[in-house]
Amino acid sequence: MSQAADATHAHAPTSTGIDHKKLIMWLFLASDCMFFGTLISTHLLYRKLYPTGFTDAEGHQQFVKNLFNIELTSFSTFILLMSSFLMALAVSAMHKGQVKSFRRNVLGVIFFGLIFLGCQVYEFTHFYHQGLTIQNSVLGSTFYVLTGTHGTHVAIGVLWLILLYFYSFTGKLTGHMAGLDVEIAGLYWHFVDIVWIVIFTAVYLVEYLGPSGFWGTGLPLAK
Amino acid sequence: MSHDSHHAPVADKMELAPERSDLGLIRPDRTRGLFDWLTTVDHKKLGIMYGAFAMFFFLVGGVEALAIRTQLARPDNAFVTARMYNQLFTMHGTTMIFLGVMPLSAAFFNFLVPLQIGARDVAFPRLNAFSLWTFVAGALVLNGSWFFEFAHLAGWFDNFAWHKALVYTDFAPANGWFSYAPLSGTFGQANDALQAPRFTGVGTDFWIIGIQILGVASLAASFNFICTIVNMRAKGMTMMRLPVFTWMTLVTSILIILAFPAITVALIELMFDRQFGANFFNPSAGGQPVLWQHLFWIFGHPEVYILVLPAMGIVSEILPTFTGKSLFGYPIIVFSGAVIGFLGFAVWSHHMFTTGLGPVPTAAFSLLTMAIAVPTGVKIFNWLGTIWGGRIRFTPPMVLALGFIWMFMCGGFSGVMHSAAPADAQQQDSYFVIAHFHYVLLGGVLLGLMAGLYFWFPKIFGRMPNAGVAYLASGMVILGFNLAFGPMHYLGLAGQPRRTHTYHAGNGWETWNYVATIGAFILGFGVFLAFANLVYTAFKGNKCSNDPWNGRTLEWSLPSPVPEYNFARSPIIAARDVFFEHKHGAYKLAYENDGGEAGVHMPSQSWFPLLAGFGFLIIGFGMPLMSMGVPHAGWVVISGVGVMFLGIWLWALEGPGGYMLKTPADPLGAAAPANAATSAH
Amino acid sequence: MFSRLFTRVALFVAPLCLFLLSGCSKEDLTVRQSTLDPKGPVAQMQYDVFMDTVYLVVVLFALVGGLLVYAVIRFRARPTDDPKPIVEEGHGNPLIEIGLITASIGALVFIAIPTLSAIWYDNDVPAEAVPTSKLSAWYPRVGADGKDNYAKAVEEQVLEIDVIGKQWWFRFEYPQLGLTSDAKHTVPNEFVIPKGKAVRINLRSEDVIHSFWIPKIAGKVDLMPGRKNSMWIQANEVGHYYGQCAEFCGDSHAYMLFRCEVVEPAVFDAWVKAQKAAAAEPAPGSKAAKGKELFAAKTCAMCHNITGHFGAGMFAPDLTHVASRKSLAGAWLDNRDPKAQVALEKKEKNTEASTPVDRATLKANLIKWIGSSGTSHDANGAPTKDVKPGNRMHYYAMFNVAGLNVSKQQFTAEELDCLAEYLLTLK
Repeated sequence: MSQAADATHAHAPTSTGIDHKKLIMWLFLASDCMFFGTLISTHLLYRKLYPTGFTDAEGHQQFVKNLFNIELTSFSTFILLMSSFLMALAVSAMHKGQVKSFRRNVLGVIFFGLIFLGCQVYEFTHFYHQGLTIQNSVLGSTFYVLTGTHGTHVAIGVLWLILLYFYSFTGKLTGHMAGLDVEIAGLYWHFVDIVWIVIFTAVYLVEYLGPSGFWGTGLPLAK
Repeated sequence: MSHDSHHAPVADKMELAPERSDLGLIRPDRTRGLFDWLTTVDHKKLGIMYGAFAMFFFLVGGVEALAIRTQLARPDNAFVTARMYNQLFTMHGTTMIFLGVMPLSAAFFNFLVPLQIGARDVAFPRLNAFSLWTFVAGALVLNGSWFFEFAHLAGWFDNFAWHKALVYTDFAPANGWFSYAPLSGTFGQANDALQAPRFTGVGTDFWIIGIQILGVASLAASFNFICTIVNMRAKGMTMMRLPVFTWMTLVTSILIILAFPAITVALIELMFDRQFGANFFNPSAGGQPVLWQHLFWIFGHPEVYILVLPAMGIVSEILPTFTGKSLFGYPIIVFSGAVIGFLGFAVWSHHMFTTGLGPVPTAAFSLLTMAIAVPTGVKIFNWLGTIWGGRIRFTPPMVLALGFIWMFMCGGFSGVMHSAAPADAQQQDSYFVIAHFHYVLLGGVLLGLMAGLYFWFPKIFGRMPNAGVAYLASGMVILGFNLAFGPMHYLGLAGQPRRTHTYHAGNGWETWNYVATIGAFILGFGVFLAFANLVYTAFKGNKCSNDPWNGRTLEWSLPSPVPEYNFARSPIIAARDVFFEHKHGAYKLAYENDGGEAGVHMPSQSWFPLLAGFGFLIIGFGMPLMSMGVPHAGWVVISGVGVMFLGIWLWALEGPGGYMLKTPADPLGAAAPANAATSAH
Repeated sequence: MFSRLFTRVALFVAPLCLFLLSGCSKEDLTVRQSTLDPKGPVAQMQYDVFMDTVYLVVVLFALVGGLLVYAVIRFRARPTDDPKPIVEEGHGNPLIEIGLITASIGALVFIAIPTLSAIWYDNDVPAEAVPTSKLSAWYPRVGADGKDNYAKAVEEQVLEIDVIGKQWWFRFEYPQLGLTSDAKHTVPNEFVIPKGKAVRINLRSEDVIHSFWIPKIAGKVDLMPGRKNSMWIQANEVGHYYGQCAEFCGDSHAYMLFRCEVVEPAVFDAWVKAQKAAAAEPAPGSKAAKGKELFAAKTCAMCHNITGHFGAGMFAPDLTHVASRKSLAGAWLDNRDPKAQVALEKKEKNTEASTPVDRATLKANLIKWIGSSGTSHDANGAPTKDVKPGNRMHYYAMFNVAGLNVSKQQFTAEELDCLAEYLLTLK
């Protein structure tokens, strides 16, 4: 997808030898790091401030650990990791000009990405029915906005890959530039994957550190 | 504007491919008139448009400032209502920062960076156009709030059901330019419609979405400029040979891509609070309003350097030119610019000394703030070193640049005073702060940008602004500015808090407020005169040579106005200040064997950046309409998203396109003979 | 050509500057909210740090500014200059650069040291701010258990005041002295402290961020909702001090003022006693008695507490002693005779001097305030001009919650007069 780039310049040698499109994707990812960094910090700050959890609609105190379904989330994390593996295969295939292999692998990435999104949709509905909403607690706000933003990134990635997949049938996805275009999509996909590993650790896994989780289950602070 | 001269005769054009994009649509290449401006991807034209919009919004912000000063001229004045005053100062700050200074800096980035590094365009020409149009969309959204406010005051909405149902009837933002939560946010519990009670009305929603859109524009532009500077330097243009202005563009762009995400997230969180009843900053539900301040200032303090570094770069170009002496301590100036950028991320909490951080963070941020004075001081010392032993030619840009150093120095000194947190406890949110940051941002940045305008104007339009009018305007700006903001140091120390729409007689603030208002009007007229002089010059000014100042950097080797391909043949650089060396020194400019009869490759123009920007405009108006409860406003937002994606999608499908353009065989084209004596003064 | 212009500009600007400076006098430095006239240890400390920065900056200004002016004049282009351009590349001079950087750091250390010590000094009541003579009498420095009693002594010697910020007024409570909202004794907008006593101020907000600032006594600290901030103050001179909210807090931010009355300790004790007294019953049949009925009928009592008469009110300022206060409406309206006040300030050469409440001014203020605030409408149905736009008077609801801001009270001139007469009896 050469959304922003002009092939004209991409053919010209650059000062650093890195293609413009690749460089701008790295710059975007640097910026996105700060973006997710801010969101994750928000979650962690509030998690530290309110270690107890949240109160559901019936007024019952709920602990975060009881809310999470760590098996499901571990599964979807594994799926996302595997999709990165397939993405690497897809990039490599396109660099070698093996369009068919590229299609197979990219379909796999799309499929895995959709499974991840499905898990997230299930998780959100499940948590909602458990009583965690965006309005009833700070935890709900930070959790849904953080993981939701990541989900949006995944969804954009899936959309991008679907478009690439169909674009490969037009016959225009060939040569050096094609490899580059796929590689850039791959950069994005890997980044989104890595961010998920950070989120999975900082949001989910820390709740299982020790008997009462990393944040403890201290008394609720003044509301 | 004489943009026709940007076009070589059409006969020089060679078809590279059919002028059809992948979509089968005819590209709007080489049109003339309005369509040309709307579809252009030429960095020079985009720069000119950035400049024109910025100057327009400078005047809008200026009018708002004069209304503020008129209200404050006398105690217990009733020129505007309290709410209108609050809206005026909010929009004044937002307009000046996001719609005045930043786009004017972007105008210089656009016009100059490719010329200074010997490139024919930026890395992503269409993305560049997208940045411009998205900026325009954000600017229209922000200022569109005024339309709603005045329509509301005039009673135009009175008969609409949605208007009758409104609880909050302020339509223009009134939270100040940093919109502290929870005043900008919510309190209490959200109702079934996911709405929590708020302190302010739709104005804040205009502000949130407007700033968000402007952030998209700034980010896109910054990615582009970093890419351009890192990747498109001409042969031999090593990083340590880059002109200082380009260096400061690079640092500024890096600051933007790292600082804007923080405000983006903060705005998303605030938007979720307001639209969906989330609790990020809602104190009744456990949200911490101080988090907003942290997130805002993690963006907001680098933003200050985003505003000031380009002006520093401009001054670092002007001083060597008019002292006839190369910049003193180039590596240190570059390095200190980078250090300022880096430290700029480590001092944000000095905006929050009074929020009860506790002594340890207060002390740490106090010391870091003092530390950032060192690289700033280094710059001033090096500028002084540049002047020392030179032969100063006084021209309007030089006078303005010297004014910049002087005013910026004063602003820096009051900044050092703020860094002492205990003293800041008295100064915070008083007029002393107003004085400080206007010395930095107006006395500093505006004078620097005006110096840049007068310096490069002959390059942009090939015409020389009238020096007499320029001196008069500069004198009025400097005099009016000091008269307006000098007394504010006293007013702040005498206890006048900022953002108060009126004050009683008897506090001892009357005289100096009156003086400040007189100064503000002199200043306003001076800025208007300076801009009017430029606009007149663009159309009717006297033609001048290509190198009227005996310039030092590459752009002066080009004809004025610069042809659309920039360099007939790509230059090969052997030294810093390469064009000055070429004229007077040992190193000569060499050229690559490209261009000429074979032509150079030019990117095709496109409608789609404009279309994508238009999508943002629809989104920008749709979101506040939703908050107002206008029926079906959600569909406006959705259609806006649709238009935006359509624009980006078509843009991707149409491909970059391109055509070949013949250039003159002589690399210098019609450029000036290398003659130092061609100065206009 | 330029030097001629420069001379002319200088000839014009210099006398102008002199003229402006000639307007300065000692009175300018001691205006009501001046930060340059500290009257307590916190403000003094902040003033001292400020003056350190001033000394540093003046020296730097003279040095750098002087060099700049000198360089610009000395190195201007002359016809006698060597026509050959200067082409050597400028690398700077490492020795000069390092020297200047070191000097800058040194100069900053000069202000960093007082800054650091003042940060901790201002943070909370320091031991030395408590009168040690009393301490030694009441508390031996080392207790029977061998532990240092000093910190505990400081704790018990400090007067605690809670400040609650609301849009757009301040409520003061003295938990140690029984002046709290639970006890139905709160002090709106004008608080009183004894001279020479360290006071810890606990800052709370019930809506948005406000900031507590009495320039002559202490710099500001914010009242952050959801956060417990505190500061300490002490005033060493008796007087009437002026404070103001210093953080933008909405429509009527400019009207959010407050006062601090510093009195001798004996006067303070009497004041505390008086605050706990209930209001006296107005004479039957008088205007004031009719006013009292109106106070209930017009729902004023829903929000305002008047101890002895009405006890339901919680949200709005306590009016039990409204007629004894020198200001009204978030201290925006002054209840003293303006002419007498100006004359007194001139005579005493002191802006803290204060005349007593003037009955006529107070009554006029009361009528103006009650009759025009909130969403009242005049005889023609047009909204009256707000004294404080956006204020919550005449609303049932504390906040502009949807649907609840429909209750609007209107008053006739007669009713206003009666209400004012009633409030005037509340001393």
